[in-house]
Amino acid sequence: MPDSGTLSARGPAAVAGSRRVTWLGRLRNIEPVMLLWIALIGVLLFLVAFPLAKLFVVSFEDQRTGAFTLANYAFAYGRERYINALVNSLLLGLASATLAVILAVPMAWAVSRTDMPGKGLTWATVLGAFILPPYLSAIGWILLAGPNSGFVNRFWRDLTGFEAPLFNIFSFEGMTLVIALNSFPLVFIFVKAALDLVSSEMEDAANILGAGTWTAMRRISIPLVMPAILGGFILVFLEAISLFGVPAILGIPARLNVVTTQLWQFFEWPVRVEVAAAYAMPLLMITAGLIAVQKLLLARKGFVSQTGKGGERRLIRLGRWRWALFAWCAGVGLLAVAMPLFVLAQASFAKAWGRGFALDNLTLANYRLLIFEHEMAMQSVWNTVWFSATAATIAVLLALLIAYIVNRRLVPFGDALAFVAMAPFVIPGIVMAIGFYAAYAAPPLALYGTAALIILAFAARFLPIAYANSAAAIRAVHPEMEEAARILGSGRLHAVWRITTPLVRKALLGGWLIVFIVASRELSAAIFLVGPRTRTMAVLLYDMSEAGNFEVLAAFGGILLVITMAFVGIGMKLLGRDFMLRRG
Amino acid sequence: MTGLTKRGLLAGAAGIGAAAIIPSRRAAAQDMPAHERELYAAAQREGQLTWYTGQMQAEPSEAIGRAFTERYPGVRVNVVRSTSQVAFQRLSQDMRARVRQCDVFSSVDQSHLTFLKREGHLLEYRPRNAEGMLKVVRDLGDPDGLFQVTYLALYMLGRRTDRVSEAEAPKSWQDIIDPKWKDQLSVGHPGFSGAIGSWAVMMRKMYGVDYLRALERNKPQIGRSAADPVTVLNAGERTIGVGMPSATSLLSISRGNPLALIYPTDGTLMVPAPSGALKNAPNPNAAKLFMEYFTGPIYSQTVRQYFGESLRPEVPAPDGAKALDQFAAMTPTAEEVEKGIPEIREIWRDIFGV
Repeated sequence: MPDSGTLSARGPAAVAGSRRVTWLGRLRNIEPVMLLWIALIGVLLFLVAFPLAKLFVVSFEDQRTGAFTLANYAFAYGRERYINALVNSLLLGLASATLAVILAVPMAWAVSRTDMPGKGLTWATVLGAFILPPYLSAIGWILLAGPNSGFVNRFWRDLTGFEAPLFNIFSFEGMTLVIALNSFPLVFIFVKAALDLVSSEMEDAANILGAGTWTAMRRISIPLVMPAILGGFILVFLEAISLFGVPAILGIPARLNVVTTQLWQFFEWPVRVEVAAAYAMPLLMITAGLIAVQKLLLARKGFVSQTGKGGERRLIRLGRWRWALFAWCAGVGLLAVAMPLFVLAQASFAKAWGRGFALDNLTLANYRLLIFEHEMAMQSVWNTVWFSATAATIAVLLALLIAYIVNRRLVPFGDALAFVAMAPFVIPGIVMAIGFYAAYAAPPLALYGTAALIILAFAARFLPIAYANSAAAIRAVHPEMEEAARILGSGRLHAVWRITTPLVRKALLGGWLIVFIVASRELSAAIFLVGPRTRTMAVLLYDMSEAGNFEVLAAFGGILLVITMAFVGIGMKLLGRDFMLRRG
Repeated sequence: MTGLTKRGLLAGAAGIGAAAIIPSRRAAAQDMPAHERELYAAAQREGQLTWYTGQMQAEPSEAIGRAFTERYPGVRVNVVRSTSQVAFQRLSQDMRARVRQCDVFSSVDQSHLTFLKREGHLLEYRPRNAEGMLKVVRDLGDPDGLFQVTYLALYMLGRRTDRVSEAEAPKSWQDIIDPKWKDQLSVGHPGFSGAIGSWAVMMRKMYGVDYLRALERNKPQIGRSAADPVTVLNAGERTIGVGMPSATSLLSISRGNPLALIYPTDGTLMVPAPSGALKNAPNPNAAKLFMEYFTGPIYSQTVRQYFGESLRPEVPAPDGAKALDQFAAMTPTAEEVEKGIPEIREIWRDIFGV
């Protein structure tokens, strides 16, 4: 404990100085960091380690007797079809993450560092893509790029006279595109936030030494934010291999089996949790591998850019090139948000969407049904909002504490804490759900069908997002600012509260919003944990997607989007207008 | 009444027949038969029930729940609608976790109910109203009365009317494996839909596994639910729907979508879809009352508005549908379904890759 001396020396003085003994003062006397550490270990054990351990144990258990067996593994990897699914998932993850980085990095650079016009539009794109759930987007894209009926392909045929479609959404490429278009905001937000902290002086230095704008960006700005890019890449990869909705909606018609749809098969009656657990194990190893690679790539390089020493940030003037960048951003916006949203909106106001757009085909009946008549719709809206908000709060608080402790090396084995916090993202939502199910559904906790089970699963599942966000924020705050406060007589908690927290507050609120949004659209983890009264909008939408009633589904998607937008709007108001468009 | 009148305009005489029955619903609430009144009093104390169903789609399922509460005020229905396999998965999970949530369970997969009966999970209760159901429906239910057929799901072919004329359309299941329908077909998935499972079982029985291989050569677009072809055809992605559920299709047609149903000459798949109350139901009286409601006339009146088949002689067939005795039908036995579906799922995945 590097700081225990300071704490115990300071504690009594503070108490003596004031008759009012605050809880903070008391905590100072009993080494708060240590207590916190123990508490965090407890929470992480509960949220992450125990469900995972249970999953691990179950994978070696015989379904009937519970005796040790390797049969589950033999079954899970005994067929070519199952192995192919695994390979498909990995390829899908890599392709989606690569595409997401390609889409997002120029946008982040343009918004953060340059005088590109239409930045508000770019933000709207990022926000829109983020809010739009992947399964809704997939359905929108079926309307756009279905090989025979898609608007894009029909237009293409009329234009060129070719028989073959321009783009078939029911394909590996189609799935990659939809996933990347939905998850590039993860990369954008990380990279933009990191770029915001890089002061122009570093680029100036490069310019003085003869580098042009392009070289300075390539050699200075982008390498400096490499941790953010890699972090985003990994998150998108993990998101892609964990998705259930997109593979179910696009992959089945494409005849592409992936891990999540395969896991679903193991859940068919008779439920083979044991086999599913065995099947999920390699994904855990891949994550461990990814994190190791990330560490290796970032090792022994310094990425600190926020030093408390000032530093100026100016926008780079791009001249004519700013329009090229603008076109890029607008193109992404069109593909990710405007086009799918437009076709979904058309369907949601249609009596019969097969008839296309016509005045006498317009109706509000789909919305009326959902808002006033549907038994579950409004209940699921409320469930979604409060489950997501609670889960986001838990995740962000937990992540901040862990990130701080790990980054400042306050405890031994901090990296293990970080690993546990990052682990959930690699587990496909369905498997996460199985882990939670196996661990907590049955007595003694008997959480099955309760809101608590879903909230905890959401908090655990999205802890990595919150953690990556918090860790990046903490990493960018050099300890010397806290140290300055400590030298001036502040205790650690006080210093953290007065110095570090204000510095990372906006990043944290940003993290909260991210978790809220992804939780509100989360399908994979929710689908096996919902009970009759705890269905979320995502689950209801998924159920509707099987019901052949597309008009109502689109309308419900519209309601989900409006609610999320409202929530984000409120969040932005609270954060201040400058939050989303902050410059340096 | 207005909703019905609109539909009557679309569908003609049958609609008017229905309109005549509806006003009696309110009156019926007063002169409830004695056995219902008794149950109702007990069910009111429970105040609600939870119904897992994979039978009708979400919208009609919600309406069925509402109509129940309208008939028996003070007893709310929590409608949990999904595909039958998912509903059964949820129930299995409930049981594994020893959680009592579900009162009444409905599936299009008979084997679910025969399994539940065999394992002793069903409530020993024969609804009195079942005596008034159509003979064909009564005979398809459990001889001991533990579960009743509450939905007769019909699965047939469908076409896009603006792309395929009635003359050139396929007439039978056998017709669709003709290469001229390559890239034109749309079908659900037996891993997701019990109905498509039953259909595939019947096709294997009638034409052998080669039928499915020939189907694969025509590259049908595979979805999940049996109702997926309705969406796919509406979008114009494909032109022929395979194993389309009549109720969902007729509803979609009534909204103006360019679809038409085809009753295959080699047999419309008729899947008697059963429901049963659970032994460990948290609300046993409400569950019994719901079984009475299922087998009574108000339920049939409600489902026919959503193009579900009427189970009772006094309620006419839904608008636009053929009466039950006007077409060739095929029904797999419970045993064929229970044994056949797990097999056919694996066969299907080996042939189709998903």
